Amino acid sequence: MGSRVSREIGHDEYDPWGTLSLIVIYFVALTLMWLFTYFIEFIGNTPTVMGMIVPVMLG
Amino acid sequence: MRIHQYEKLWIVGSMILIVGFIVTITYGSVGLGITMIGDEEETIAPDELNDDEQFGEPRVEQVGENEYAAYVVAQTFIFQPDPIEIPANNEITFYVTSRDVIHGFYVPGTNINAMAIPGQVAELTVEFDEPGEHGLICHEYCGSGHHTMEGLIVVQPEDEFDLTELSAETPDTVTSGEQVQLNATVENGQLEPLETTVNAEIGDQTFQQDLTVDGKSTQNVTFTAESTQLGVGEHDWTVTVDDYEETGSVEVVSNETAAAEGGEES
Repeated sequence: MGSRVSREIGHDEYDPWGTLSLIVIYFVALTLMWLFTYFIEFIGNTPTVMGMIVPVMLG
Repeated sequence: MRIHQYEKLWIVGSMILIVGFIVTITYGSVGLGITMIGDEEETIAPDELNDDEQFGEPRVEQVGENEYAAYVVAQTFIFQPDPIEIPANNEITFYVTSRDVIHGFYVPGTNINAMAIPGQVAELTVEFDEPGEHGLICHEYCGSGHHTMEGLIVVQPEDEFDLTELSAETPDTVTSGEQVQLNATVENGQLEPLETTVNAEIGDQTFQQDLTVDGKSTQNVTFTAESTQLGVGEHDWTVTVDDYEETGSVEVVSNETAAAEGGEES
C-alpha cells in the first residue's frame, strides 16, 4: 500500500484559523442576540415592572 | 502547561461575554430600576376578600404624589375593577389577588405579567408613559370561561385624570308648595383639593355653585327649588361636575292629589 507521509509540527505551528473564525462568528452572534433580547425585547416592552432591588434580594 | 494562543483568545472572549451579561443585568436593575415580582406581600384569606379593607372594594387609590395603588381582584371570569382607570406618567402599584382559582394578570406586549393566586398578593409597580387603552387578559387556564376573561386598563392623560365621584338624589314626589331639594355629593379621591363648579338644573331652573373639596373627602351641596314655580307634573333634573353627570326626575303633585293618596293609604 502507499507510504504514509507524516510531518510533526510544534505547538505554536498548529494554526486552527477555521475553528477560531467559527468561534468569533459564534461570539458575535451571541452578543447581538443578547443585545436584541435584553434591550429590545425585554426593556423595549414597556411598561416594565419597576421597583427597588433590595426587597427582591431580601425576599 | 502551555496553552495555545488561540485558546487563550477564546477563553478571554468568553470571560468578556459573561462579564458583559452581568453588567447589562446590573445596569437594568440598578440603573433602570427593573425588578421582578416579589413575594414580600402578606397573604390573604381568599374567602374573606369582601371584608378586606383593600380588596373589599377593588379600586384605584392615590397613595402619594404621583403614586397610585390599584387593588385588583381576579375571579372566574372577570377582573375587578373593570376598566381600571389610571393616569399616565405616574407610578402605579398593582396589588393582584384571586378570589377562587389561579388566574393570570397579563397585559400583552408588555412586561406586566403576573399570576393571581388565591391567598397571595402579587405586587408590581409600573409606569405608563403614554395615554391609551391596554387589554388585560388571564393567561392561566382557570375554567370553561377562561378564553373570555379579559379586562381593560385605561391610561388617561395625567391632567385629565381624577378620582371624582358624583351622586345626586331628590325625593321621588314633592307636594306642591313644598321645596324640591336636590342633594348632590361630590367625592374627591385624590390628595389634592378639588376646585370645581357644580351645575344643576331642576325643570327650567338652573343653579350654579363653586365648590372646593379637600383631598380624600366628600362635600354635599343642596339646591332648592320652589315646587310652586315648577308646577305640577314630572320634572327632570341634572347635576354636572366637570365631566360627570347625574340625572333623574322629581314629580310635583298637587295638594289634592297628595291628600287623596294619603287618604287611600290610611
